[in-house]
Amino acid sequence: MDAITVAFAALYQFGDAFAFLVLSACGLAVIFGMMGVINLAHGEFIMCGAYVTVSGANAGLPLPLAILLGALVSAAVGALVERLVVRHLYERPLDTIVATWGLSLIATQGTLIVLGSTMGGIGTPLGSFQIGGYSYSVYRLVLFVMAIAVLAGLYALFNWTRFGVMARATIQVPHMAAALGVDTRSVYSLTFALGAGLAGLTGGLYAPTMTLVPTMGTTFIMEAFVTVVVGGADVFLGTAPAAVILAIVKSAMTSWQGQLFGQIGLLLAVIVVIRVLPKGISGFLLRERT
Amino acid sequence: MNALSRFFARLEGPQTIGRGPVFWIGFLIVLAGACSYPMFSDGYTVGNTVYFFTWVFMALGLSLIWGYGGSLSFGQTAFFGIAGYSYGVLTLNFGAAYGFTLAAVVIALVIAALAALLLGYFLFFGRISGVFLGIVTLSVTLVLERFMAQTAGPEWAIGKARLNGFNGMSNMPPLTIPWPGGDIILFPDVQLYYVVLGLLVLVYLGLRILVNSSFGNVLVAIRENPERAEMLGYDIRKYQLGAFVIGAVLAGLSGVLYTSWGQYITPSSMGMTAAALPIVWVAVGGRSDLTATLIGTLVVLSGFQALTIHGAQYALVVMGFLLVLTVLLAPRGIILAAADLLGRLGKSKRGDA
Amino acid sequence: MALLETRALNKRFGGLHVTNNVDLSLEAGEVHCLIGPNGAGKSTLFRLVLGEHSPSSGQILFAGEDITALKSFQRIRRGMSVKFQVPGIFKALSVRQNLETAMQHHYPAASLHEEIDRLLEFLKLSGESRQLAGNLSHGQKQWLEIGMAISLKPKLLLLDEPTAGMSPEETHLTGEMVQRLNADGMTVLAVEHDMAFVRQVADKVTVLHLGQVFAQGSIDQIVADERVAAIYLGQAHG
Repeated sequence: MDAITVAFAALYQFGDAFAFLVLSACGLAVIFGMMGVINLAHGEFIMCGAYVTVSGANAGLPLPLAILLGALVSAAVGALVERLVVRHLYERPLDTIVATWGLSLIATQGTLIVLGSTMGGIGTPLGSFQIGGYSYSVYRLVLFVMAIAVLAGLYALFNWTRFGVMARATIQVPHMAAALGVDTRSVYSLTFALGAGLAGLTGGLYAPTMTLVPTMGTTFIMEAFVTVVVGGADVFLGTAPAAVILAIVKSAMTSWQGQLFGQIGLLLAVIVVIRVLPKGISGFLLRERT
Repeated sequence: MNALSRFFARLEGPQTIGRGPVFWIGFLIVLAGACSYPMFSDGYTVGNTVYFFTWVFMALGLSLIWGYGGSLSFGQTAFFGIAGYSYGVLTLNFGAAYGFTLAAVVIALVIAALAALLLGYFLFFGRISGVFLGIVTLSVTLVLERFMAQTAGPEWAIGKARLNGFNGMSNMPPLTIPWPGGDIILFPDVQLYYVVLGLLVLVYLGLRILVNSSFGNVLVAIRENPERAEMLGYDIRKYQLGAFVIGAVLAGLSGVLYTSWGQYITPSSMGMTAAALPIVWVAVGGRSDLTATLIGTLVVLSGFQALTIHGAQYALVVMGFLLVLTVLLAPRGIILAAADLLGRLGKSKRGDA
Repeated sequence: MALLETRALNKRFGGLHVTNNVDLSLEAGEVHCLIGPNGAGKSTLFRLVLGEHSPSSGQILFAGEDITALKSFQRIRRGMSVKFQVPGIFKALSVRQNLETAMQHHYPAASLHEEIDRLLEFLKLSGESRQLAGNLSHGQKQWLEIGMAISLKPKLLLLDEPTAGMSPEETHLTGEMVQRLNADGMTVLAVEHDMAFVRQVADKVTVLHLGQVFAQGSIDQIVADERVAAIYLGQAHG
């Protein structure tokens, strides 16, 4: 009985960490994998999704719809940002990081000016259940399922839809894709909006579980960075396995020494991984094909 | 005389704009102005000017790593914080007598250098470059911030120094120079101003010599084409690591001076916003030149300070726009773009004559 | 003694056997050209010698020393030098600075700039010494990089398609330069497509095909070899 309790607790911790890593990173990873660009305003798209979700829920929308709205608004903002800034920097991927950092500053501080230092949140729905005297949140299980669903959805999108095929053609041989009549510009545009929308979805999903402050994006961004660095430039062969490994590290360190050591563990893991696998896990898995 | 001209020759080279007698006469005039400035002002204002100067070291270090070496180091604030906290812990424990604060500065810088050596070893010998270098260094500073922010409890103390979590450490002694007839305590006032100004001139000239030396040649070559640089027989990892450590020490110097200036340091000095600011100064001024970085940093900081009267958040929004617009419109930096423009105008005038 | 020797050198990328048991031997003082149809493994072999790839198995010896485990810069320091196919120059540095960066540790400071001037003249770039290297013409960029490569005074000069993008006239001039360097004692290994160039300079030719050494000999022997013609024709047909 006791063993089951312990095992479930460990599994729950792992699932929670896994979901957080996957959801934090997927938007960043999609954009990085497709465009080689790191979007430093990623955390602010998450923030945007969270704020919209909470506003929607407060206005009477059912939570799932409010979350969807958060994702859509983030995607729209993403499309706008791509149009105004990122599009002009495709030749200079390193400058994109710097420019999106500027956007992040504007978004964080702008939100602070317009909406103040915090926003009233909504409680975590769905209540809790008990196993072996410990209480667990049902919503956390939903988040885990959502993380899996997002990965599955992305897999389907990139493998089974016309957009996915064009997008993969575009990353592999941009000029060839262009020569074959793929509008690479709009592929990049849509990809950026997709990444921003996924960030917004993450914000919406986690909105009920946290306090809404303009700097909430930083809560996610470290995990997102670490997952993308460890994973490398491929969402399925990189982000997913990286999240599994990092979730084990994080949940083990967290249950041993607390939240913070979970993060320190992540950081140490990433530094060791880059020394051993400079191209991340996906680079390692794909090395045979290069 | 010959030694002097040899010295000037080493300060100049293709790696730095600003050369020839005109530039150096201008430099001396500005320096003389900076030296006499306290005579026309009061101690409080001069003390505030020192605040600007403390940041310039970090900016120059970033210019070396990023502008010259081409490595995106977005975590300079980590070394700023490490050195600042080290200075606080050391001086709170051992006081300021017998010139210990000066020893504390040196030890704090060594700690920052060792941290940079360790991190840099993993990064550069793991051949990490480009975007990953940027986000790993940024992650490091973010984790350090979070770590320091949770040290509120009494168990988080090193000797007599409580780390104090989110509120940070305070009341460490300022820099103190032992002096016969009474120690000179460097509060933010005229004396500290001269010390920091002296350091600034020293660091600026020293970096000019460095980037115009054979080390600087290789550093810029690595930025331009790392493969070719390696195929000339250079172990590029060592050069990158060297620049990274020097940059970290300079960030550490900023941290130490900042800590002793205000007698406090908080975790937020290592956070996302704090980490963005050096990027703004260096990118806006012109990262690939030391002089442009120096001027740009001072100009942007004064602008920032002026805007802060209306609230820091407004100033930060402006910084954000400044950064985005610089990257879009003048990617080499505003000062360098202006210098290019002036150069072209000058040339066309001479062409007309 | 051979200056460069590869022993049973293999490189596999996944299931692909790109370099298959290659034994190559370069005598000091010879100009050796590596030819073969596209995909023959020439570039891979070249990168293995340079240390940009590490072999799956086999050995590389340079002047009798096993250098298989050495990093690129260590191989360069032992007396190799390379000219890449796409001109590898430092675009934002002046022509003079490019050479200075290459030469600063190989010549005493006192005579460095004299040596640079001499090399600039040899490269016919004296007039461009203060220009940014990025502004040079394609041919000039190629020459500048050749200049950087030879300024290290290497025992072995590796050339990756040195005449790519050159006019027949420039190709011929490049060939003359290679011959002059060779006369001064430099050993040269060149990957090359241009048969006129190969005929002009090569003492010995190795034909690679499907990752293996297919034929070896003087240029006349290679040209007379019908099997070699067949693989090139095969390439042309499919």
